[in-house]
Amino acid sequence: MTAVAGIGGQLSLGPLLFHWPAEQMRDFYFRLADEAPLDSVYLGEVVCSKREMFFGNYFVEVMERLAAGGKQVVVSSLALVMSEKERHRIKALAGTDATVEANDLSAVAALAGHEFHVGPFVNVYNEGTLAYLVGSGARRICLPAELPATAIAVLAAQGLCEIEVQAFGRAPLAMSARCYHARSRDLHKDGCQYVCGEDADGMAVDTMDGQAFLAVNGTQTMSGHYLNLLGDLAGLRAAGVTGFRLWPHSCDMAAVAGLYRSVLDGRVDSGEAARRLAELVPEASFANGYAHGLEGHRLIEDGLSLCQ
Amino acid sequence: MTVEGVELVCPAGTPAALKAAVDAGADAVYLGFRDETNARNFPGLNFSRPELAKGIVYAHERGARVLVAINTFPRAGQPELWHRAVDDAARLGADAVILADLGLCDYAARTHPDLRLHLSVQASASSAEAISFYHRAFGIRRAVLPRVLSVAEIATLCAGVPIEMEVFVFGGLCVMAEGRCSLSSYATGHSPNIDGACSPASHVRYRDTGSAVVSELGGFTINRFGPGEPAGYPTLCKGRFEANGKLSYLFEEPSSLNTLDLLPELIAAGVKAFKIEGRQRGRAYVADVVGAFRRAVDAIGRGERPAVEMLDGITEGGRQTAGAYERKWR
Amino acid sequence: MGMLSERREPVSRPVEPPFSPILLAGLALAVVPPRLLQPLFDAILAVVRRRHPDILDRLSDFPNAVIGIDPVDLPFVLVLEPWPEQPRLQVHRDFELVQASAVIRGPLEMLFDLAEGRIDGDAAFFSRQLVFEGDTEVVLALRNAIDGAGINLEEDFAATLGPLARPLLRASNIGGRVYRRLAEDMGKISSALLGPLLRGSNTQSARIAELEQQVAELRRGLKARGRG
Repeated sequence: MTAVAGIGGQLSLGPLLFHWPAEQMRDFYFRLADEAPLDSVYLGEVVCSKREMFFGNYFVEVMERLAAGGKQVVVSSLALVMSEKERHRIKALAGTDATVEANDLSAVAALAGHEFHVGPFVNVYNEGTLAYLVGSGARRICLPAELPATAIAVLAAQGLCEIEVQAFGRAPLAMSARCYHARSRDLHKDGCQYVCGEDADGMAVDTMDGQAFLAVNGTQTMSGHYLNLLGDLAGLRAAGVTGFRLWPHSCDMAAVAGLYRSVLDGRVDSGEAARRLAELVPEASFANGYAHGLEGHRLIEDGLSLCQ
Repeated sequence: MTVEGVELVCPAGTPAALKAAVDAGADAVYLGFRDETNARNFPGLNFSRPELAKGIVYAHERGARVLVAINTFPRAGQPELWHRAVDDAARLGADAVILADLGLCDYAARTHPDLRLHLSVQASASSAEAISFYHRAFGIRRAVLPRVLSVAEIATLCAGVPIEMEVFVFGGLCVMAEGRCSLSSYATGHSPNIDGACSPASHVRYRDTGSAVVSELGGFTINRFGPGEPAGYPTLCKGRFEANGKLSYLFEEPSSLNTLDLLPELIAAGVKAFKIEGRQRGRAYVADVVGAFRRAVDAIGRGERPAVEMLDGITEGGRQTAGAYERKWR
Repeated sequence: MGMLSERREPVSRPVEPPFSPILLAGLALAVVPPRLLQPLFDAILAVVRRRHPDILDRLSDFPNAVIGIDPVDLPFVLVLEPWPEQPRLQVHRDFELVQASAVIRGPLEMLFDLAEGRIDGDAAFFSRQLVFEGDTEVVLALRNAIDGAGINLEEDFAATLGPLARPLLRASNIGGRVYRRLAEDMGKISSALLGPLLRGSNTQSARIAELEQQVAELRRGLKARGRG
């Protein structure tokens, strides 16, 4: 193993985007609380409010266990807020003393004046929007997946708040009012039978020619490829990015977190880490094209070098 | 404006389309500059500054308003192009600008306090709280609702906000929450939000295999049309894909939104403006669709039910849908 | 560029020419050498340049484009080079010697309707009456540029021809009426006459479809093995 200088930076686990059985979720978080080298963990249903009730019984228990494990806990809000129930939920969330990650503008509105985080479902593309949100109380912003490193660097260089970049897992690409998981089973969202629970990492969506392309997670559309920014962490850090987000998947996430941490600490070089990641998630094909300003599905082996 | 102030807002991709829309009875025309500051940044489309100036004169002389869409998200480090678009729209006498980006709303509100601001559908403001926020923060006067809400939800929303609501009534239908979709950039590397074009033509290819026409986007097969089968745009969300062991239009069939039947309900829900999609369509489309909706709105104004008009010929895939306005669409 | 030349093979005429008076006129024109028609198209381009300079302006992002226009019911094709300095519109027998960036095909009447904005290009494409190949961006730019110009061929020519315009317009009006009448009658018998011919299956097309299917299945098989 080659010794590499540590590049530092925070490591966080984004909210679980998939619909897993509540007990499985609880055990998943318990293990991460005890074993994973994560600085923060985001909890909460982002994709579909119909799923919210299941995990409710375990929510506080999991929060406490994560805090006991030294993790900062942040509660993520729903990405698409429409119904009366969803709107009340946002207001209730803003009324608690939890740190909240706003994933739409109704949450930003409810949280303005307090300190809050902004999730990748809020469009932060430029310094004007960044400055406005920071002025409203945003302290950490996780940027949308499609931003190229050149834009990320401009935003990080403002030095106004923490900047987090998505670094592992299927990239969230779109939200809809329509449930495609239900539609794939000839059902409607209202009578969905929670079929999204059948695919722990999302339902594969291939082209007519059988080429792997996208994934569906209920009302959400995701990338078919998994983000892997291991080779780009150093470049992004040098550009001022303060932290990296891993999206939860059904693979050994404690090991994935350990791998990213070892690269941030300079204990493993990124090439070796990428090889180990492929072993940890054998079903995945990887991509980092967005960071390189290219098609999101592309994989560029050479790490980012951001000459400024 | 015939029915208690309901405004018909119509698309114009070119000066000829602007004339067609105004002549066919548009109350307002929306358009964009010829660059990535708007979400229809297609080759050969849109307005130069002198064309906008002339278009505004033509429209104003006939009692129609001109709204300038500056509804993409300024590129980090290069906001000047977007700022200049807002400045020029204001200077040339546009009746409003249609914005999506928080930072650009902030810029417009601070720099041009008298300029009327509309919130673009690209801002994806789907709740009363989000819309009210834009009103409080930037003085937004009207919001275009994302195409994710049912008529019942729109009625609740209209009652809960202090500003006018505009909804889409015809044309291409985004099935994803607008302004929050990266499918196109995943396949092509060009972001609709930054570069202003979904499924950019530069990355589209139609391949004739002899037995079928295959449409590709960024090298991914989106659809295959057999002889005589109606074709559609090569947008990802209207493609045929394989999932759960079957081939289907997983997201949406190639179809166009048509709400001629729903107009009375939308008016009753409190909607103040009807928007027709299609800045990328020709002036024949604009004249046909604007004419049909003008007659429908006028009929409702006279207390009549609008006549059913067949617009099949100009719709995508030859199909029409009421989209998210009907709850079962979900 | 080169996209079409690589695949000259499938450049068939995918749109069946409609059985119309133009098709008959086309049969008559088949013996006329294209160079005799060239002055007509030089005149058309001159009119367009004078009356609608914005068309070339809207195409200025494509300074090297070569656009093939194929009226499927006529025995010749047009090649448009909308180059800002030296635009050209040339008549050829076919695209054999042309390196086109894009080709647009459709019945002549539809191409005229498109040029004059009487029909919507997308609608014509959705209905498969209009077909294009090659660089989609160039095709779209041309469509938008022409639609945006507000072309009216009769008026444009009238404006150019000056005093000659009135009798010519009247002649073209009468011509139009006669043409429409002819077109109606011919439309009625065309299906009876040509229907069976057009339905004849194309074995080569079927073979290609079959091969594509096999590739897709191979891919799926490989992937299933990869997952398992």
